[in-house]
Amino acid sequence: MYGALLDALPEVLGWANLLAVVVGVLSGICVGALPGLSATMAISVLIPFTFGMSPLVALGMMAGIYNGAMYGGSIPAVLLRIPGTPAAVATSFDGYPMAQKGRGGYALQVAVVSSALGGIASAIVLMLLAPPLAKVTLLFGPAEIFWVAVFGMSSIVFLLSGDIVKGLMSAAFGVFVSLIGADTISGYDRFTFGRLELLDGINIIVLLVGLYALPPAVGLLEEPKDIDASNATRLSTGSIWSAIPGMLGYWKTWLRSAIIGIFVGILPGAGGSMAAFLSWNEARRASSNPDEWGHGEPEGVAAAETANNADTASAMIPALTLGIPGTAVAAVMLGGLLIHGLQPGPMLFRSNPEIVFGFMWQFLFAAILLIFLGGSIATNSFAQVLRLPRPILGAIIIALVFIGVYSINGRMFDVYLTLGFGVIGYFMEKLKFPLPPVVLGLILGKFAEENLRLALRIGRGDWSVLWSSTTSLIIIGLTLVVVLMPILRQQVAKRRAARQP
Amino acid sequence: MKRTVFTAALVATTAMAGAVAAQDYPSEEIEVIVGYSAGGGTDVMARTVAPFLEEYLGNNATVVVKNMPGASGQIGVTEVATAEPDGYTLGTFNLPGMMARTLDREADYDADSFTYLANVVNDPNVIVTPGSSDIDTMEKLVEAASEEPGAMTVAMSSLGGDDHLFLVKVQEATDTEMTVVPFSGSAPARTALMGGHVGMGIINLSEAVNFLDDLNVVGIASEERSDLAPDVPTLAEQGYEITNGGLRGFVAPDGLPEEVEQKLLDAFQQAFDDPEFQEAMISTGNPVRLTLGEEFEELTQEQLDLATRIWENTPWK
Repeated sequence: MYGALLDALPEVLGWANLLAVVVGVLSGICVGALPGLSATMAISVLIPFTFGMSPLVALGMMAGIYNGAMYGGSIPAVLLRIPGTPAAVATSFDGYPMAQKGRGGYALQVAVVSSALGGIASAIVLMLLAPPLAKVTLLFGPAEIFWVAVFGMSSIVFLLSGDIVKGLMSAAFGVFVSLIGADTISGYDRFTFGRLELLDGINIIVLLVGLYALPPAVGLLEEPKDIDASNATRLSTGSIWSAIPGMLGYWKTWLRSAIIGIFVGILPGAGGSMAAFLSWNEARRASSNPDEWGHGEPEGVAAAETANNADTASAMIPALTLGIPGTAVAAVMLGGLLIHGLQPGPMLFRSNPEIVFGFMWQFLFAAILLIFLGGSIATNSFAQVLRLPRPILGAIIIALVFIGVYSINGRMFDVYLTLGFGVIGYFMEKLKFPLPPVVLGLILGKFAEENLRLALRIGRGDWSVLWSSTTSLIIIGLTLVVVLMPILRQQVAKRRAARQP
Repeated sequence: MKRTVFTAALVATTAMAGAVAAQDYPSEEIEVIVGYSAGGGTDVMARTVAPFLEEYLGNNATVVVKNMPGASGQIGVTEVATAEPDGYTLGTFNLPGMMARTLDREADYDADSFTYLANVVNDPNVIVTPGSSDIDTMEKLVEAASEEPGAMTVAMSSLGGDDHLFLVKVQEATDTEMTVVPFSGSAPARTALMGGHVGMGIINLSEAVNFLDDLNVVGIASEERSDLAPDVPTLAEQGYEITNGGLRGFVAPDGLPEEVEQKLLDAFQQAFDDPEFQEAMISTGNPVRLTLGEEFEELTQEQLDLATRIWENTPWK
């Protein structure tokens, strides 16, 4: 098998195939950086055009877009607190406070290096371990996936920081939104009011830009026209190569987040946002100064960005071997493969090794290219955006958001929905409701519900099906540790304090 | 009176204009509406067929695929049903899904809303069990399922699709009662099956052929064995006369001018006879079988009757 990997290399190094990756990464960064446009959308727009291209050119562009967008999303998340993609929400936790303190340039450098490392790790795992990891995916039936979702939700507890009631209300709102649409198990439509557009549920981009992009964009319109360019000038930092040595201390976070990202990638359905949230939490828990997190801790940016790139290539593992994509982007990429007659399954590796392994190399090259293309060129040019007068910037963002949302399915209905969520987001912000639990609730709500019901069907109503496998028990154990550890630690600390008067 | 004459004249003129237009057909861009996202099975079929249609319609025809995803294809097919019947709007059509939607949802179309052109894909259902399972024949399957009602758990894709209708047929024929576990698609259902989380699964042949090492294919629901998997016995061979499958084809709005309809039917027939077309369809995982015009309409009626019967006996929602 590893021989086939090397055999695929010369083809990938052909200039057309290399150029495709470069173009993909650059456009991916742009797409990711523009709120409302996402990798999923860019690739689905691209797919019809790839019909006439040679497979590796098409796939190289997709791999590039995927990796580029996962980093690109961090640019507005850091500079404007508007996550460019769903996976960049966790990046804004520490990235934006850093920008406010004048360290936005450094935040972006951390983001690009972490993204590249996450992507490289993920690509190497895809190249070397795809078949054995596919076996891991098979261990996860509905019961096990349900527990993964519970594990993800338990991390909501940590995102609440501050007002617990408001945090829970936000999470409940996210879960509610996730339930809208046709229920595949009973066949009933839920909260669709007879609208066909709502039958497939609410696209996460619609919710994300409504809550996250519109309110700050409106905020920009409210600001005075005079330019505060201080942020932008301070942003132009030194070369990325001189910044890297200073980041080497993050190696533990990089390693941990890469593993989390890769693991979330091989599980069907969870995706980059969950990887980023989980990894941010874990990194904070392991940190010696958890109180700094959320107020501009560079390691927080490193954790989120490593994880959301580390699930790119690994999400292709179940997609290529089992036909079940690990993320929404992997799902559209699967379509791109299908269009070239590449059908997922074990046969794919035997019948088209040069393309499959070439595709894996392209993931690796795309991740490496991120440092060169994202490091200075893209970051500095996007930073210039901050020189624009605020109201103009706000107007541009609003226009882009609507174009992006319209292009998901080509219908105005989604634009109106976005506007509705924008109003909700505006008031949530004014009333100090936290937004991240909404996103997590949307991603995990239906995911948990559906898998719980499937598991109970399989057990024919017997709840013990939920803890009948070792895999389930391990995840339950992990969840308990995550939930109980902080409480126990607090108790111990209290007792100690009581003992020492 | 005057008005009637005027109307008659108007109708005549329009009809003549229509006839002239039909002779020139196609002189404009033809749009094929696909009710699913780019890259899905139906989309790939439409994009594979499009260049062959262009070639055999002649007249420098251009065929453009337009994706209108949503509501499991219903948004797209409704658009086709309500479009101008001039031959410049065609659409993909999935059976039994599109007809089942007229039963389990409120739909703005019915079986009479279309001019039936060609069904090109017939992807027979297969019964599969995990590779680790020792159930590999219908006999063993029926034995296991008869132990107690609901003992057999069945992974399949959503309710009201070909998988579901097929399962109902199987339960009737074998006099068993199974536990339905409807996943959000065939791929997750197949994965749960490969992991041994469910007892058996119902998918389509094209979804099984790449996984023959990890799955037991108990039987295929077609009249004859398939070239794609010649070792898999049919259900009829094992004593159960059941055929069923997922169908994909092309329709136009009802009331298409006859001449235009004929041109399209000819083009589909010529495309089908082209070995290159057959090859392109097979390589994208589409088992081809052509059913043209009236026969396609009958096929649709058959599927609707089947779905109606099942819906009335055992409504799935």
